Amino acid sequence: MEPIVQCMGLTKTYGGKIALNQIYLNLERGRIIGLLGPNGSGKTTLIKIMNGLLQPTAGDILIGGLKPGVETKYRISYLPERTYLPPGMKVMEMVQYFQDFYPDFRVDRAYDMLARLQIQPYERLKNLSKGTKEKVQLILVMSRDADLYVLDEPIAGVDPASRDYILHTIVQNYNRNATILLSTHLISDVENILDEVVFIRYGSIILQAGAEQIRRNEGKSVDRFFREVFAC
Amino acid sequence: MLGKLMKYEWQSTWKLLVPMNLLIVVMTIFACVTVRVDIFDTNNSAVVFSAVMIIMTYVASMFVVMVGTAIYLVYRFYTSTYGDQGYLLHTLPVDKHHIIIAKVIVSAAWVLLSSFLMYTSVLFLFASEGDLFGEFFEGMESIVEGAGNNKINLFAVMITLVALIVGMLARVLKVTACISLGQLSPNHKLLTAFAFYFGIYIVQQIVNGVYYVLLGYVNRRLSTYYYGRSWEYTLIAGLLYCVIFYLVTWYMMDKKLNLD
Repeated sequence: MEPIVQCMGLTKTYGGKIALNQIYLNLERGRIIGLLGPNGSGKTTLIKIMNGLLQPTAGDILIGGLKPGVETKYRISYLPERTYLPPGMKVMEMVQYFQDFYPDFRVDRAYDMLARLQIQPYERLKNLSKGTKEKVQLILVMSRDADLYVLDEPIAGVDPASRDYILHTIVQNYNRNATILLSTHLISDVENILDEVVFIRYGSIILQAGAEQIRRNEGKSVDRFFREVFAC
Repeated sequence: MLGKLMKYEWQSTWKLLVPMNLLIVVMTIFACVTVRVDIFDTNNSAVVFSAVMIIMTYVASMFVVMVGTAIYLVYRFYTSTYGDQGYLLHTLPVDKHHIIIAKVIVSAAWVLLSSFLMYTSVLFLFASEGDLFGEFFEGMESIVEGAGNNKINLFAVMITLVALIVGMLARVLKVTACISLGQLSPNHKLLTAFAFYFGIYIVQQIVNGVYYVLLGYVNRRLSTYYYGRSWEYTLIAGLLYCVIFYLVTWYMMDKKLNLD
């Protein structure tokens, strides 16, 4: 089976600054993968290119064998690092919005998660706290039956008490044949759910390995190993 | 998907623009009553002051609605397309053409509605009692004649209206193209968009000037007195600008998207 994501010499520059440098990367299906790197390492740039929000300067990227476009957007469920919901809309209107545009959206799953997180569907988004808005976004994204979930810093803005529930939500609600690509620098919080990690620094992939393999070979947690690799 | 995009575009804009357009209706009623009941004939200075204030508020509300609608639609396009909400819009499984068409049609519909209400409002205000339709047709006649048609007929009215609508679409697309071109700048997107707007405005003025100079030259050479009917130039130039600005917007959105 072909990888869900294939990067071939993927390069992105901003003016003279290199954000991604000749990346070759394959992400297999059915895995939870951590895209780990310090701030400014190129994580978000790579994710934006996957979603067609940025154009690569050179090289190619394929999502399920296709270049980013309308077809790949049916397959990717993307959670950006920022709040992107229109503030004037109600939570229930956003559920309807996702249902209208994504055929794989599961309304019952969305309302179930909203109820469990005690988020009222008739609340306007502008009246919600930043953390609650991020939970709503995550619920909308995880209520799809996508082939690839791309989650950019999904737990950075929520309180530590909610992080476990959110990670539990991610693991419980994704399609088992799908891949989750999870970008974060809060590695200790996500380490237990990761099958695989990709380390990125200065726009280059410096390591792609199984989480268990790292723990076995290095004799330390992924978090500890990350701190050593990226020590200033 | 186009229908769904238009539905949500409409839902996002009506909450502000319906009240703004209702303001025109309400202020027209107040202004008409003030003018019709001869309030200005009274010696009571408080009444006269109130009447003056109502008329001034009427004029100000027209200005506010006209400018406010334009500013809001520009702001709405910018934030929903290239701001944070752009992350939502550009990850929808929809064609970029549909995104542009939905936004332009809804924006154009609001501009048309506001323009129609303002025209009707002024008509009501200045129409002599009982001759509203006479005033309406006189107004239409002056627009058509102003647009270069000597005699009013159905064709002239229709072609003039089409030319006005195409010209208005070209103005909306010019704004979408300039905001999209602003994305070329990494740090000063809005400033760059303004620079493109004024740059394109200057180019359009030069094109207008060249057109009339060429026409004058042709007339001299052929000893004719043809200066073109305004609707012909408005229609052809409008269509040309529509195509150019649409393609620029599409190219920038599809090939040069650069969300921060």
